[in-house]
Amino acid sequence: MSAYSPSAEPWLAIGTKRRAVAEFALDNLVWLVFVAAFALFSATIPNFFQLPILLNILEQSTFIGILAVGLTLVVISGEMDLSIESTMALSAMAAALLFGSNGAGLGLSLEPGFLNAVVAIAVSLAIGAVVGGVNAYLVVGWQINSFIVTLASFLWVRGVVVALSGGRSVYGMPDEIRWVAVKSFLGLPMLAWVTAGVFVVFSVILLKTPFGRHLVMVGGNPIAAYRAGIRVRRLMMTVFVLSGMIAGLAGYLLAARTSGATANLGTGMLFEVFAAVVIGGVSLKGGVGRLSGVIAGVLLLSSISTAINVMGMPPHFTQIIRGGLVLAAILLDTMKTSIRRQLA
Amino acid sequence: MGIGKYIVAGVFGAAMLAGGINAALAESKGKIYYLVPTLLDEFQTGSVDAITKFMADVGYETVSLDAQNRTDLQQSQMNDVINLKPKAVVLAAVDFEAMKPGIEKARAAGIPVMIFDRQITSTPSDFTSVAGTVEIGEVAADRIEKLLKDKKGSVSGKVLQILGDPGDPYTLDIQKGFEAKMKAFPDVTIITQPALQWEASKAGDIASDQLLVNPDIDLIFVHAAHLAVPVAAILEARGKKPGEVMLVSSNGAPVGLDLIRKGWEQVEVEQPLFAQAAALAMFADKVVNKEKIEPGVYDVLGLKSTLTIEPWGPNLKIPGAAIDKTNVDNPTFWGNAKPPATPIAPVK
Repeated sequence: MSAYSPSAEPWLAIGTKRRAVAEFALDNLVWLVFVAAFALFSATIPNFFQLPILLNILEQSTFIGILAVGLTLVVISGEMDLSIESTMALSAMAAALLFGSNGAGLGLSLEPGFLNAVVAIAVSLAIGAVVGGVNAYLVVGWQINSFIVTLASFLWVRGVVVALSGGRSVYGMPDEIRWVAVKSFLGLPMLAWVTAGVFVVFSVILLKTPFGRHLVMVGGNPIAAYRAGIRVRRLMMTVFVLSGMIAGLAGYLLAARTSGATANLGTGMLFEVFAAVVIGGVSLKGGVGRLSGVIAGVLLLSSISTAINVMGMPPHFTQIIRGGLVLAAILLDTMKTSIRRQLA
Repeated sequence: MGIGKYIVAGVFGAAMLAGGINAALAESKGKIYYLVPTLLDEFQTGSVDAITKFMADVGYETVSLDAQNRTDLQQSQMNDVINLKPKAVVLAAVDFEAMKPGIEKARAAGIPVMIFDRQITSTPSDFTSVAGTVEIGEVAADRIEKLLKDKKGSVSGKVLQILGDPGDPYTLDIQKGFEAKMKAFPDVTIITQPALQWEASKAGDIASDQLLVNPDIDLIFVHAAHLAVPVAAILEARGKKPGEVMLVSSNGAPVGLDLIRKGWEQVEVEQPLFAQAAALAMFADKVVNKEKIEPGVYDVLGLKSTLTIEPWGPNLKIPGAAIDKTNVDNPTFWGNAKPPATPIAPVK
């Protein structure tokens, strides 16, 4: 009896179903890990399992989440952007210096009041675009390695933050700017809505637009993409500018949440953003990745941070626990790749 | 012709400036290098300005080097500075103990080392000017004890302590002083969490999460004023009124004083930045000329400061003030950004 005889068909069908289940599980492994981790924290940490904690996780995911969107676009295209943390900090500081009423802030106040928010957002996006444009010019125009260029930007942009602020803090943002960090809509924090909006918009762009498809093609094989008629240089410049502007938006939201800015604002977030992107299944080689996985990675990391904040561990062990949990998440993702290879 | 006169004026002005600079340099007693741990903190950036000004009052030119919170970089800076043979080195260490070899090397090369703010007791230095980080924690504990008693009728309740980076001995010393004093009050529960890398938004996240799982928190104690900013923002976002959850901070930065004025913060434990920096300048000549420094009580910008001879050398301890709404506008507090107008005079 051969494998293709009629009596063998039911076995093939079961095998296909099992394969489909396995593929689904692998594709969404990060979500499964997030749910499992949340369940574990809920079971073991007193007072963890409550709706406000989940809302906190969503709210605190904002900055890593939005930065991760920009970084995902760059990484999928086959490049790197290490400047996003500093760009976010510079945008936050610029908005704070203009509109903050205390500390080093100038206390600018526009009428009508909503213009404070509009101008602050515009300034933040413009700063992000400028930094992204500088990165784009050097990487695309001068063909310098993006790791090196954006590493330099990581340093000089933070330097601009320190120089502009003189190391001083700013406090006291106007209500129109604070609004997005204070208000809720349908029970969800406005910050969570903004983050969700950014993810939805860029998920659609990646999946449904020529820009998104070209991005994946360029990341997979830039030479083939060029020969196929895709304007690779223009695409890459757009990606870096977009990444900068997305970081600028994150900066505005961070200034709104902290009601000001300090010279070291956002320090350390770059590592978490990278971890979220890698855990989310985006390949650092380029050409592979989806934002749906990145969202799960962001939520997982935010859950870990919140769990550490509430579990009451001695503070000296915080970094060990954080690093250990991130490593476990990355190892699970590596295991996923290995299983997928075996299934194939 | 019109533009020509501007060019001439510019050249003349530049010549005046150059002449002024040259004259200043000609009068200078020499260069002092200040190794500052970071410029991402308002106290440290303020210290650069204060030390530069006060040292200039007594005739020294100051060059500052930023260690960016990296021990290895500061060690490297110390090695480089030794080769430049300055009149003295002022050190605010990133890691107190890691700088011990560098201090010994500098002194062996004949370069005096003055310690600013972050006391190093493991090796001798030529002069130490400190408020005392452990003492800051103790002063905070005293005021928190009073605040809790006023609020609850007894010293009891829940305190959220937000540290800076847990690898920074500065915050660990404040924690040590604070918790040692609070041990006498077993009815006070202290929850401690670190804001990694002293990053402000992490302090906000800690406050946000802890207020959910411990809604009965009475007071939040943060180890730097810039950490108090996002905490106050979170309290406001959660609908709290100023003073509903009390807030105490340390270091005395301008934002801390602003928060006191607005009612969000109750006490700011000041590190007397101006006095600590002025003390360095007052004793700079004695240190550079290797003269004997006598123990005793010295008036440093109006603060009665005690100089003792310790195993690590002359140690001047300057009392830090507890700032609240009754004295928040005192111009001697560095957070009010009014450095003393009278030039510092060297101790004879």
